[in-house]
Amino acid sequence: MSETQTATTTPETILLPKRLRAPEVAALIEDLRRRSEGVPLTVDFREVEEFDSSTLALLGYLRKHVPDVSAIHVGGALARAEESFVRLPPAGPVETPAPAGRPGRFFRSYADRFLVRARSLGRFLAMLVDEVYHLGGYLRERRGVYPGETWNQMFFMGYKSFPIVCLLLFLVGVTISITSADQLQLFGADIYIADIIGYAMLRELVPLMTGVILAGKVGAAITAELASMSVLEEVDALRTMGLVPEKFLMVPRLLAITLVVPLLVAMADVAGIFGGMVVARVKFGILPSAFLEEMVSTVDWVDFAWGLAKTVVFGWAVVVGSGFKGLTVGRSAEEVGRATTESVVLSVTLIIVIDCIFAFVIY
Amino acid sequence: MDIISARGLTVGYGKTEVLRDMSFAVPEGRITVVLGVSGSGKSTLLKTLAGLLPPLGGGFDFSGSPVDYASEASLRLLYRKIGVLYQGGALLNGLTLFENVALPIRMHFPEMPADMVRDMVHAGLAQVEMADAAAKYPAELSGGMRKRGALARALVLDPDLVFCDEPSSGLDPITSSLLDDLLLRLKETFKMTLVVVTHELRSIERVADRVIVLNDGGLHFNGDFADLAAADDEFIRTFFLKRDSHDDA
Repeated sequence: MSETQTATTTPETILLPKRLRAPEVAALIEDLRRRSEGVPLTVDFREVEEFDSSTLALLGYLRKHVPDVSAIHVGGALARAEESFVRLPPAGPVETPAPAGRPGRFFRSYADRFLVRARSLGRFLAMLVDEVYHLGGYLRERRGVYPGETWNQMFFMGYKSFPIVCLLLFLVGVTISITSADQLQLFGADIYIADIIGYAMLRELVPLMTGVILAGKVGAAITAELASMSVLEEVDALRTMGLVPEKFLMVPRLLAITLVVPLLVAMADVAGIFGGMVVARVKFGILPSAFLEEMVSTVDWVDFAWGLAKTVVFGWAVVVGSGFKGLTVGRSAEEVGRATTESVVLSVTLIIVIDCIFAFVIY
Repeated sequence: MDIISARGLTVGYGKTEVLRDMSFAVPEGRITVVLGVSGSGKSTLLKTLAGLLPPLGGGFDFSGSPVDYASEASLRLLYRKIGVLYQGGALLNGLTLFENVALPIRMHFPEMPADMVRDMVHAGLAQVEMADAAAKYPAELSGGMRKRGALARALVLDPDLVFCDEPSSGLDPITSSLLDDLLLRLKETFKMTLVVVTHELRSIERVADRVIVLNDGGLHFNGDFADLAAADDEFIRTFFLKRDSHDDA
């Protein structure tokens, strides 16, 4: 006989075993309910020595919800425990949302999410306007920003991003050159690889890739730093010192990205074009001089300027987007990680959207 | 005279009211201790009084003028008159201790000569016995040193009122006692007003002139510490009894 089975002394009395903890209670409860149907029962707990809170809950359940239980015998330690258990405040109802039909739940869930997103977008746009105001204020008054912080940020955003940007754009140049040149060779138009590389790099690939690299490297770092500062009350401390955190923390980063992006874009353009040129020379025998001559006959300074303008706007989107995520984080360390991930997603999304808008404007 | 005078103040987050309808005063030149069990709303009240969290109802005067959360100028005026010692210190990690303490001076008075800034910072650090650690970064300091450094930063522009959010938390009894000495010295030497949020019984007994007790979503007691000790109140008795046995353990 298993431990959970009950020994019935008389047809009306159930004697419970020595050990009556959660597993035994779970096995017993259905049995008790079934046997109590229409038959007056006496449940004897006096032998129970090993028990836990589920035993006490069972006692309460039998007293309240099983009317056919005519008598319950409890003794010893269990009786004392029940007395203190009864003294505990009664458990309140567990709040669960009122059941709704499937369509109602579906629409309410989406409506809630939409409202949260709309509110977040509103706060983001408000922050964007604030940042433009603070940047203008700083350029006018030169106050409210820690001296030297812009240089620190330029070092981090520019010098530390330069190798990875150049390497990746060089590889993109190589890849585009290899994939395009095979097709061009079929028509004997190998030399036009220079036009494709120049045009694609200056107008599209360098701005887009640089923006994405900045989102992953600079944006994530900004969010992580500002979110940690929020959690550690450093942002509150700045505010109670009479400083404006949205200015003190964000303006140096906006200035730094504005000053650094032109240099990064110029270097990335050179790296990307160089990658394409290397493949053109090695694989198709096109001399660098011929490559450059062909390229400058098609692309001009306007292409470079558009690419530069786009990248500067991407940079601002990254800084404002990641700053927004960092400064609006909650109070737990867990949220720092979540905000950092969200900031990269937000920055990349903003970059793609802005790129699309630029495409409509430029072409 | 009262430096803070609150009327029907309700504080909380969003639509959640944490403390309701409180009226109390913080007298000048004394140490007022705000105490209550964990989650009673001590830090929420402090944030509201420090201008970080708008009240959900009622309001308060600071030095006789009402604080208007909708007005940036009103909040800026409040920030210029207060210093805050945060629970973890909240020193900026990218700056040395010297730069942290110099930050409020450099930001508010950029025209001040560097020599003057240096003298002010060193005086502030000497006050909290941290002059030797001026060149260190917060990460190189112990918990107690970080708090003392943060106190120097809170004091450097001679605020009218300093809020201290659980200054003893996470500190050993000796360091905690040194910090209490420091608070008492500030009150006695500079006639400074302090509002200290704590639930450390030893600190309360040593530093408190006035006590505000928070319980059950509101103000439970507001008066002199001597009156608190004599109060015939079950919650206060339980609070002190439990804390006492806890502290002795």
